[in-house]
Amino acid sequence: MDLTPEPNKDEGAMGDLSFDPKGRLDAEDGLLLTRLAHLVEAVDPVPSDLVERSLFAITLAGLEADLMEAVYLDTPLAGVRGAAAAARADDTAPAEAKTITFTHDSLTVMISLSPSAGGRVRIDGWAAPAAGLDVELHRPGADVVTAASDEDGRFAFDSVERGRASLVVRRTDGGGGAVSTPVIEL
Amino acid sequence: MTGSREALPDVDGPGLTLGDRAAIALTEYREGNHQALGGLVREATPLLWHTVRAQGVEPDAAEDVVQSTWVALVRHAESIAEPKAVLKWLLVTAKRAAWEAVRKHRDDEKRRTELPDDSPEHPMALPSKDPLPDAEVLRDERDRLLWMSLQKLPGRCQELLRLVSLADRPDYRYISAAIGMPMGSIGSTRGRCLAKLRTILDEQGDFSWT
Repeated sequence: MDLTPEPNKDEGAMGDLSFDPKGRLDAEDGLLLTRLAHLVEAVDPVPSDLVERSLFAITLAGLEADLMEAVYLDTPLAGVRGAAAAARADDTAPAEAKTITFTHDSLTVMISLSPSAGGRVRIDGWAAPAAGLDVELHRPGADVVTAASDEDGRFAFDSVERGRASLVVRRTDGGGGAVSTPVIEL
Repeated sequence: MTGSREALPDVDGPGLTLGDRAAIALTEYREGNHQALGGLVREATPLLWHTVRAQGVEPDAAEDVVQSTWVALVRHAESIAEPKAVLKWLLVTAKRAAWEAVRKHRDDEKRRTELPDDSPEHPMALPSKDPLPDAEVLRDERDRLLWMSLQKLPGRCQELLRLVSLADRPDYRYISAAIGMPMGSIGSTRGRCLAKLRTILDEQGDFSWT
């Protein structure tokens, strides 16, 4: 991109004097902004899977489940890592279990992701306060899989294909409404 | 929602901006075309990402904020009063969710560390510092100069210029409104920010731009 400024013709040497603050953008402004857009993307790139995760989240929006929030803490020492970081770390360190916590009002769901046979993922989950829960696993282009929690609020999916996924949690007694996790990368 | 269609820009007309395309996508979605938002999500996600990041939200949480902004659009698709202003609606929604994420994060950190809160200022006024560009990222000397010059601008100018650069220029009014620039002074504010940037660049003296 050529950022060569046009010479300040008649207005003298000062670029700011030649610039009408209420005026329209000139060609050089356009070049500058175009270059700036490239820099913004280079310095803080949009995560590569964010669009696809958003698109899948939109398809799940019709489930009328309230979105839970993932809990992110600064220090990984707490054993709680961001969903996105966990997903990225998964590529390089597949042997390590990852734990993600989601909250919504009074309900907290923790899931632990660990490797399973054939490059798949095992999900162990725990919900508090403990109650009978139906947990649905939604994945793009796949049938919904449901697991029931035990009385302590524990549930598991033994062997799940990697990729984008979201959990929808409903109380078996029908109370409280459904909640869903953000779309994460397994 | 009948009638809103006529207020939309002509699809075949020249110079459709991101804001125009967003309005068309929402209208088509309301009319039952559930694929209509796909293109908008692809096109506007970078703008939402950088809007959220500019509020000081960490990358992991920022991903969830962007995702939840799109979910909110679908949930509110029927109730957004002005389809023409949907781009602004998206930006404002993302920005508010970002503030909320920053507030919660600080509360969590405070609880965890049990340190006294010695920064009583409003979190909104304290976005985290911009990520410093790695020398590897900006190899071009001109790019480094432009980025360093941008850092010398007031924070709101930096945010405005970064976001405007990611949209179509006529959309600056939505972006300016979304980040809280007074409507009456948008044109001049935008002008001042760009003018300041160009002045700083000019002050680099004999730096060669070619």
